[in-house]
Amino acid sequence: MTLNYNHMGHAHFLARPMSRRTFLGTAALAGGAAATAGMWLPQLVAADTDELATVFPRPIVGGVSPFGIFIHHFPPFPPIPPGPINEPSQITDFNGLVGVTRVLGTGTGTDTATGLQTRLNYQVDNGFMSGLYVGEDGGTHHGTFAFI
Amino acid sequence: MDLFTGAVGIGQVHDFNPGIRAGGLFWTIPVPEHALTADIPHGTATLALSDLDQEDYHNLHNALLDGPSDPASVTFSMKWTASGPPMNVTDSVHRFTGRFMLSTIQIAWSASAPGFSFVSDAAGTTQNVKSVIGRERNGVFFDE
Repeated sequence: MTLNYNHMGHAHFLARPMSRRTFLGTAALAGGAAATAGMWLPQLVAADTDELATVFPRPIVGGVSPFGIFIHHFPPFPPIPPGPINEPSQITDFNGLVGVTRVLGTGTGTDTATGLQTRLNYQVDNGFMSGLYVGEDGGTHHGTFAFI
Repeated sequence: MDLFTGAVGIGQVHDFNPGIRAGGLFWTIPVPEHALTADIPHGTATLALSDLDQEDYHNLHNALLDGPSDPASVTFSMKWTASGPPMNVTDSVHRFTGRFMLSTIQIAWSASAPGFSFVSDAAGTTQNVKSVIGRERNGVFFDE
């Protein structure tokens, strides 16, 4: 594994100034993956708003410590007692809809310089939270967040 | 979103995520409301985002240390479909409560980073490990 230390100078994602492009990407009906991976197309979006939360939420209090490094996150699996599921949300002071997943699969990686293709395995732990939350500013807000 | 040359956990070569915020917020970013289509009473939810800025930390350990990374982007669409009845869960140890459903999941995604691109196989080929959708309250809303 080779890390490109030339990029140590670029601002990491969450340290960059907040801009619509940075956070939005494009909520899309069909993107590059859709066109090439034979996926289904999601239903038409349910909301007619493009509102984006402007105040960050705060992390859940608990978490786990992979490699001895504490993170404010519970993996979807395995369940940690006493509950039958781990907390799905990544944010605290939250009241709303949640989803979380751990999924495995396969795909194809391409070296864009040589065109060499390699079969790869993936694990994706993703999720969402949408609803009321108390933000870093102490105020109550409504927002939608992706855990990626 | 992690890629491995071997079985999952072996030979990780890419780790796409938005980073950990200074206060500890873990790999979580605001997205437009219309990125999410959720019908929890009927047990479905879809999250779809395209060309989303990420970092490629290449492996989990480096990601957790917020080590060096490459700029990257991901596109994905993932759909949860409930596979079990609703269950009420209250975990007073971790202080969350809610009504949740175990679910199946389908995802198709792609990623690009300097010199590299990835396209997943068809969404129907995904292997669900554990997926949940529902409603949750925690923190100051836990006792409501």
